[in-house]
Amino acid sequence: MIIVAVIAILVLIFGIGIYNSLISKKNQVANAFSAIDVMLKKRFDLIPNLVEVVKQYTQYEGDTLTKITELRGKALNANATEGDKLALDQQIGSAVKGLMVSVENYPDLKANTNFLNLQSTWTESEEQIAAARRNYNASVTTYNNGVMMFPGSIFAGMLGYQPMQVLETAAEERKNISAKELFNN
Amino acid sequence: MSVNFTISPNVQNVLAELEIDRKKIVAVKTKNWGIILLGVIALLGISSLGFLIAGLIVAIPAVIYGAIKLFKVDEEVGAYRVRFKHDVIGATLSAANQSFTFTPNDGISETEFVNSQLFTTTPDRYSTEDLITGKIDKTSIYFAEVHAEYKTETQTKNGRKVTWHEIIKGIIFIADFNKHFNGVTVIRPKDIGSSLSAWFSKNIYSFGDKNVVELENDAFNENFIVYSTDQIEARYILTPSLMERIGYLNERTAYTVSLSFINSAMYIAFPLDQNYFEPPIFKTLLAPDLLSKDLAALKFMYDIVHELDLNTRIWTKT
Repeated sequence: MIIVAVIAILVLIFGIGIYNSLISKKNQVANAFSAIDVMLKKRFDLIPNLVEVVKQYTQYEGDTLTKITELRGKALNANATEGDKLALDQQIGSAVKGLMVSVENYPDLKANTNFLNLQSTWTESEEQIAAARRNYNASVTTYNNGVMMFPGSIFAGMLGYQPMQVLETAAEERKNISAKELFNN
Repeated sequence: MSVNFTISPNVQNVLAELEIDRKKIVAVKTKNWGIILLGVIALLGISSLGFLIAGLIVAIPAVIYGAIKLFKVDEEVGAYRVRFKHDVIGATLSAANQSFTFTPNDGISETEFVNSQLFTTTPDRYSTEDLITGKIDKTSIYFAEVHAEYKTETQTKNGRKVTWHEIIKGIIFIADFNKHFNGVTVIRPKDIGSSLSAWFSKNIYSFGDKNVVELENDAFNENFIVYSTDQIEARYILTPSLMERIGYLNERTAYTVSLSFINSAMYIAFPLDQNYFEPPIFKTLLAPDLLSKDLAALKFMYDIVHELDLNTRIWTKT
């Protein structure tokens, strides 16, 4: 009798553990998503300064600057969904990358401390967003495994939890890194 | 930026001079061990004939004389070691990179060792030596030999028995990391205990460690388990490229390395089987491959900065 009771209690504790683990995984996904949002906001906040500094030194990059400012406006729009923001961030990213290449033609701008600071902060934000996206994808994978695998799948069915989609990585991030290539450069 | 540590003609001359010292030391050691041995043989021989007192009268002075001489030669051995370390290892290092200094009697402090969080056990016995510091391009590094142990006590029939266990014997390498971070991220070799704990933390709430970081590089996950106070920051530090680089570094070491990122620095622990940067006593200093292992170890440490790409400073930390 005691053995049965002990087993029942153990099963119950195990069950509660798995149930709570599923809830925490779902919360973790939401948390990871909002972390991306925070990083994106930080990155978008750099744009006005970047535009200002570049404007002072260049005459021919007006179109690119206007485009970047417009994209930022769209991204900060209250109606923009998370998906929109991520897509806009990619467009902004490639526009700024193009801008950084054309900056090579402006030695004064390249030597400006303010610009250099912005440039490194920009690269930093890029890696931080990449890290936040990877964190989100890891959370989604853990959540999906929890939802789809036994015994978590029993609770997932009861709670109506569905597997989620991971974020697509940008083409450059997706590129396979081989150790050989790394050390040959 | 790679470097080649080579033995200069100056260092060759030092080695030739040291070889003379070494031969003297060996001669003194051999002679006095011989005297002690003769004393013991005499004691055994004479006492077996029934003259124990006479045996002791012959043996005791011989053993005392030999022991004093051996004790005295230790000072010369000390001086020989110091000169070897300064004028051979130190000179070779600074010839390769001016910024490098070698301090044989210094090391990584025990406090720093514990604070690095490379290991979970606090040492009960700790020794360190052979500190090497320097700067490679933009990255400051330092490393030293460390031997850390902890003890366990068991009750036996004959009282308490103390057993010493190794935490690490090897080299701890520290470099200024090229990115800003605030939390603590630790990479430890994967073992059954840590894998089990990671499984529990992933699958059953309120069990196991909440700080395990699941990374997407399978080869990396096979060898290591990562803990961090900040999941995003851990990934910010451990980019796909750095994971590849750490994996490659690890492939070239006999034992799996441990790493930690804390207080703006990167710590790497390399467990090793041998003590480096020590002169031989009973082997010649003039053997062509005498320094090959020491130089290979130096080059290995030196190249880490390049291999882990620590000189790329495109982020806000310069």
